[in-house]
Amino acid sequence: MIPLKIHTRGAATGPVLEITGDLDHATAPALRQCLATVALTPGQCLVLDLSGLDFCDSSGITALLTARSLATAQGADMALAAVPANTTRILRITGLDRVFVLHPDTETATRPPDVPVTGDRPA
Amino acid sequence: MCRTDQVPNEPSDRDQDAGATDAAFTSLLEDSAEELYEQAPCGYLSTLMDGTIAKINNTLLDWLGLPRQRVVGRMRFTDLLSVGGKLYHETHFAPMLRMNGEINGIALEIKAAGGSRLPVLVTSKVKTSSDGEPILIRTTVFDARDRRTYEAELLRRHREAEEARRQADADRARLQEALEVLQQSLLPATLPAVPGMEAASYYHTASPDLLGGDFYDLFPLDGTRWAFFLGDVCGKGPKAAAVTSLTRYTLRGAAMHDRDPVSVLRTLNAVLHERYNSGDARYCTSIFGFLEPDGDRTAVQLASGGHPSALIQRADGSADYLPTPGGMLIGILPDAQFTTARTVLSRGDTLLLYTDGLTEARIGPGRDLYGEDALRDFTRAQPPAGPQALVAALTTLLTGFGDGLDDDTALLALGIPATPPAAVGDPLA
Repeated sequence: MIPLKIHTRGAATGPVLEITGDLDHATAPALRQCLATVALTPGQCLVLDLSGLDFCDSSGITALLTARSLATAQGADMALAAVPANTTRILRITGLDRVFVLHPDTETATRPPDVPVTGDRPA
Repeated sequence: MCRTDQVPNEPSDRDQDAGATDAAFTSLLEDSAEELYEQAPCGYLSTLMDGTIAKINNTLLDWLGLPRQRVVGRMRFTDLLSVGGKLYHETHFAPMLRMNGEINGIALEIKAAGGSRLPVLVTSKVKTSSDGEPILIRTTVFDARDRRTYEAELLRRHREAEEARRQADADRARLQEALEVLQQSLLPATLPAVPGMEAASYYHTASPDLLGGDFYDLFPLDGTRWAFFLGDVCGKGPKAAAVTSLTRYTLRGAAMHDRDPVSVLRTLNAVLHERYNSGDARYCTSIFGFLEPDGDRTAVQLASGGHPSALIQRADGSADYLPTPGGMLIGILPDAQFTTARTVLSRGDTLLLYTDGLTEARIGPGRDLYGEDALRDFTRAQPPAGPQALVAALTTLLTGFGDGLDDDTALLALGIPATPPAAVGDPLA
């Protein structure tokens, strides 16, 4: 078990949450609580940087979906960056690779909108 | 008394002064041995050895509400007691007193003035003559109302605590029973017999306290077709169980009217999305399918919504997944897409459905993912001996995972035995 850590920072496109450790049944509530405190304005993009994610189970996937719902409800977009191979595999099995916007890394995900973005598509 | 501060210093006068001071205090208090006896804060009485009251003080007479002349020489100590007190006196009090010469602090009730019962604590001591013969019994009687009230209160609290504990035990037992009944209602008690086919299942809950989120079912439709499903609701506990229940009955209902597995999953998706769209997102993954047995072969059509692909073990020993790529989680999006696949099972073939508790299990010291490749290789290594043999082998495998199996796990295997089952009851056999 690796404890979950969430570091929030701002980028030109909106808030970025760097998530490290295990995202599972025990730790998913912590991400939900953190998400409740994130301020989003319409047009922004909430980016979840998963490069430090060690483990993600179905509860973790639910938390990611909650993040997407919260962003959508506030008129903002949401994207996942640097998704580890295991989690990519789960997203593929569950068909969520076509629901989430996926970026290879946070730099791509937070590139200002006037620069053409590849791989992005409406959720 | 602080006499030393108040008397003259001459030592020779001390004893004389002490006696004078005591007398002064006694007269000041208008007290005497006789006064003390009669008006003492407790009851006094003396009885002959047969119990006849020889002497009694005013305090006790007041409590009894009786004049002295009706008591002394006319009543026995036991006449003052309640019925219960009389019995206790006869069976315990008197024998103990005879044996030990004294008895201390016995709780009795006396018949007090106005017909009420007065709880008292009684101490008695036998006075003996110089040659050791018992001559009378001296008894003190203390008012024990306060103490009795206190004891009654303690007893009441104790009974309340006992009752609360009994209630808590009963509640816990009822909750446990409700959980078990609910859990059983989420799974078929037995799998129905499908002609020419064999079925086997396995179910493991990671925590006995939490209702599992995995589910499966196999049921007849119209005599020629059967439906099956297996899935996994996100989360655990009562909320997940409610979703599981809704999912199971929605799939069963939809299967009656739809011949297309994708339509069945679309119905479930619409139901879950409508029910759980606002706020508390709930979803599941599932494979749903139809079986059409026809002699030695069974046509299978299934659809997957976000669920790991089914695995088919063939009679020739091969094992491969039946891919259903792109099928989405059920209940998340209003227009979710589901993927269908078809296959035919022949003699010796087995279709295996499983939840990700199996493929996501963490094994070995590195807690590595067990994974789909390992499951396929494991199945290839098993002889194609039918659903029950495959589920038995997988059960052994799962047991070996130990702590690595930290999620619920369900297995459902459907197949056609390599050799036809003995046709019991067939007149031609």
